[in-house]
Amino acid sequence: MPLVGALGRCTVIVAAANALDAALVAEGKVRSVASLNDVVAALTSTARWPDPPAPAPTPVVTVVPPDLVEVRGHALARTALEIAAAGAHHLLMVGPPGSGKTMLARRLPGLLPSLDRSAALMATRIHSAAGEPLPSGGLITVPPIRAPHHGASAVAMVGGGSTTMRPGEISLATGGVLFLDELGEFHPSALDALRQPLEEGVVRVSRAHRAVTYPAQFLLVGAMNPCPCGFGGGPGFCRCSDSARARYHRRVSGPLLDRFDLRVDVQRPAAEELLRGAPGEPTAVVAERVAAVRALAAGRGVRANAALSGRALEHHAPLEAAAEGLLEGALRDGRLSARGFTRLRTVARTIADLDEIGGAPPGPIRREHVALALALRATLPALEGRAHVG
Amino acid sequence: MSAEPTNDQGVLHAGDARFVVALAALDLFPRQLNELVFRFGAEAAWHNVRAGRPGLAVPADIAQLWRHRAARVEPDRLWEAHRAHAIGVSVLGSSTYPPELIDDPEAPVVLFHRGDLDVRSGPRVAIVGTRRASTYGRDLAIEWGEALSHAGVCVVSGLALGIDGAAHIGALRGPTPPVAVVGSGLDIVYPRRNSALWHEVGKRGLLLTEHPLGGSAAAAHFPARNRILAGLADVVVVIESHEAGGSLITVAAALVRHRTVLAVPGPVHSPASHGTNALIRDGAGVACDVSDILVAVGLSEGVRRRRRETRPAPDRVGGAVLAAFGWSAARLDALAARTGLSLLDTADTLEQLVTQGWIVADHGWFERVARDRVAHERSASK
Repeated sequence: MPLVGALGRCTVIVAAANALDAALVAEGKVRSVASLNDVVAALTSTARWPDPPAPAPTPVVTVVPPDLVEVRGHALARTALEIAAAGAHHLLMVGPPGSGKTMLARRLPGLLPSLDRSAALMATRIHSAAGEPLPSGGLITVPPIRAPHHGASAVAMVGGGSTTMRPGEISLATGGVLFLDELGEFHPSALDALRQPLEEGVVRVSRAHRAVTYPAQFLLVGAMNPCPCGFGGGPGFCRCSDSARARYHRRVSGPLLDRFDLRVDVQRPAAEELLRGAPGEPTAVVAERVAAVRALAAGRGVRANAALSGRALEHHAPLEAAAEGLLEGALRDGRLSARGFTRLRTVARTIADLDEIGGAPPGPIRREHVALALALRATLPALEGRAHVG
Repeated sequence: MSAEPTNDQGVLHAGDARFVVALAALDLFPRQLNELVFRFGAEAAWHNVRAGRPGLAVPADIAQLWRHRAARVEPDRLWEAHRAHAIGVSVLGSSTYPPELIDDPEAPVVLFHRGDLDVRSGPRVAIVGTRRASTYGRDLAIEWGEALSHAGVCVVSGLALGIDGAAHIGALRGPTPPVAVVGSGLDIVYPRRNSALWHEVGKRGLLLTEHPLGGSAAAAHFPARNRILAGLADVVVVIESHEAGGSLITVAAALVRHRTVLAVPGPVHSPASHGTNALIRDGAGVACDVSDILVAVGLSEGVRRRRRETRPAPDRVGGAVLAAFGWSAARLDALAARTGLSLLDTADTLEQLVTQGWIVADHGWFERVARDRVAHERSASK
């Protein structure tokens, strides 16, 4: 499929089974044949091109991702999901088993803008190259979610292979979500391999014979237990020994944890909330706000607010005096590192954008925006003792 | 060096001390060490163990284990090592042995110390509690440790993370230095995170252990260590303890020794207070204030000092959020639900309260504090 896409305007002959895929990406004519004999026959003019009628496209069944309306309680986590989707901020959820981390992550792709034609072609090509099944409509337009098991190797994660090159999970997640459940259980080499692609949006895989570059622009969502016993939620709740906690925390490298701009503590909602809590907003309503914030980001010349940096950040994310005072305080008492300061500012920009949708063009960031960004960048139990993570 | 064993016990002779130390290096149960020394005399017991015939009713493989351990210990060299490290050795019956432990039902046969033995000459209060303390417990341990030190009371604790360490930190801020009873040799600092505190207590106060140099911080040492803590103290105060927490072992040891036990009440939903609340239900004394402790050790505080509130009064919204805490830790979304404020406004108000010193942020949770910790740190560092 990528090959057909690269050919441009010429006639392409493909096997009958691939006719539909090829038609999606080819710019010239696509002829499909049942066997090479047909090609020979047609070229030597002993027969006509078979051009069997393309099999009727199976009805398009769009996979509808689960809806946010089904989530009760979890006010903080819902807000974090919305901010993550709106600003493309990587999200870490820490909470005991069964608190709903996976359930929440599964609802994130529905909040993301659907893929435009070029992104859809890209995603479809990658899936095709990886031999992944394509949706019945042909093009992948719904943002994908990939949730590799924690046993995944570095090669499975970033791509590669000894005989044929294959894109990995991070490329398959392009345009969508890479969800790593049980972050602490992943092999350190598999997690380390994520760092370069996270920084550059592409992954370069080099093998003995060749090197390829695959796209890798995904929203990273991590989930982990706060500690081995899983109850390290509130102060004084955990039952683990100090050494067991220390061992658990060492499993995820500080630099990777540092990539998560949003870190929320997810607790099991109280029975009260589950039984009688009002249903939350549906995905469609939240997705509309997300799209509006993405449009604002596009006006700033970036894909999403998370990509703002340097002078663009200074220009597009001005701080009100009170907001600046709060940030200064957080820097002074060591709650924020210099890097954390920049990241927090992009998150505060997204929060401010969401807060002011529908009004005048968003103004400077206010104090409450910074306060919420700080609350969503909690030093979680799993990050304890990592002074460089801020 | 304080090793001139007397004949008070009728068993220990001068010169026995180095064999007691050698036997202590075998990491036996305190009861076994006691029996060996007092049944056979330290020197004879040492030679018996070395030969694989300890003379106690222990299985053959245990006798072999002891023999293997003994083969690696040279009494003279070990003795000299303690001298070189300036570690005091007091065998039961020697003049330097803490008198409050002499008639203890499980008195350690030997104690090693660094620091000043005289710091424990006044009234002594053990402050113990969980390693996984909440801000409430830690703040209280620091505050009371300091207040007791100012009242001339020697604070005894175990240098563990959480309540123990906090009590030492507080006590070191006052004029009366604390005593730490640890579960390893004095060259094995445990827990490492408290190593600065360990050395400070050794310098200004007193470090005590029943383990010779090289003694590991084995888990089994800590329950045994707790009996020494209880034996040294006149009063044991438990600030926070989980259900079945290690500090309850100290409480049991204190009750056997007829020491007064006081427990600090906590929120009924806080797991860190389950143990202490249960103690109160079972009849322990209640400590709500330092004066409760002072009365228990026989020092009544003349006037209760009223603390002056130095924090700026919260505004109306701040007051409402503060009231929504109800003195237990809470998360941002729970507080927003209780007050009816938006997440944004709640986050904003919480940040104001943190800045003003009314609450602290702890791993995504917020906790109300009784006094301004920042101002407190400032006044302490003056």
